[in-house]
Amino acid sequence: MGDAHRTADPRRALGGPGIMLVVLYAVLALAATGRSILQITSYFEQAPLAYLLSAFAAVVYLLATWCLARGGRWVRVGVVACTIELVGVLVVGMASYLFPDAFPDQTVWSHFGQGYGYVPLVLPVLGLLWFRRVERLAAATETPAPGSALG
Amino acid sequence: MIAPLTYAVVGLAIVLCAVAVYYAVRDKLVDDRLLAVAALLELGLLIQLVTGLLGMGRIEDPTEKATFVAYLVTLPVIPVGAALLTIKEKSRWAMGSLAVGGFAVAVMAARLLQIWNLYG
Repeated sequence: MGDAHRTADPRRALGGPGIMLVVLYAVLALAATGRSILQITSYFEQAPLAYLLSAFAAVVYLLATWCLARGGRWVRVGVVACTIELVGVLVVGMASYLFPDAFPDQTVWSHFGQGYGYVPLVLPVLGLLWFRRVERLAAATETPAPGSALG
Repeated sequence: MIAPLTYAVVGLAIVLCAVAVYYAVRDKLVDDRLLAVAALLELGLLIQLVTGLLGMGRIEDPTEKATFVAYLVTLPVIPVGAALLTIKEKSRWAMGSLAVGGFAVAVMAARLLQIWNLYG
């Protein structure tokens, strides 16, 4: 049973080790989305910027989860999503230490994702490594025919 | 929220994670025993969801409260989703995802308790 080789898209994370990454991403996306909805619906006026940023981050996590699971042409979108996450957690993480007054309330990315056990700092790196891996695998298995469109 | 229940949930989640890792390493497929552990964990998480929602009024800090509720609601989704993956995709990687899910439940339930205890 386990030997059955699938002819599915090698860029698809479901069906391979990437499935574990999908689960991690889905959990973070759900938690971040839930928290963000509560923040915006119950006390938005307290720190609008922080909560909008949280909501944006949550949407990007959902998008990245989808891209990981689907693979194929979503890989490029996923790379962009993970890059945004990485830049976000680095910039906001740095800013929350340098200018604490600008962040009256926590976001997912504050203090490099400390509130989420630094998972937001680690996940985009894993995501980017995964996407790079599947792109390489796909490039190796597909015979490069000139002029043929990928994806 | 009932603290002993959350301790039990954390313990059970760690057990689920360990058993799933063992299954993944041995390349064993999902069976009733593993699903029973996941179902028991799910039951604990659902009771925790109800008791947590009933008692969340005591958490004063709004951010902590938002995190608390988001985690409460997210938690019961994890064992169901991960278990369905192992049933649908019978591979060691799907089993690994159940281990990852168990670990996530343990960490998030521990965080719930941490927030809860701030207002004990």
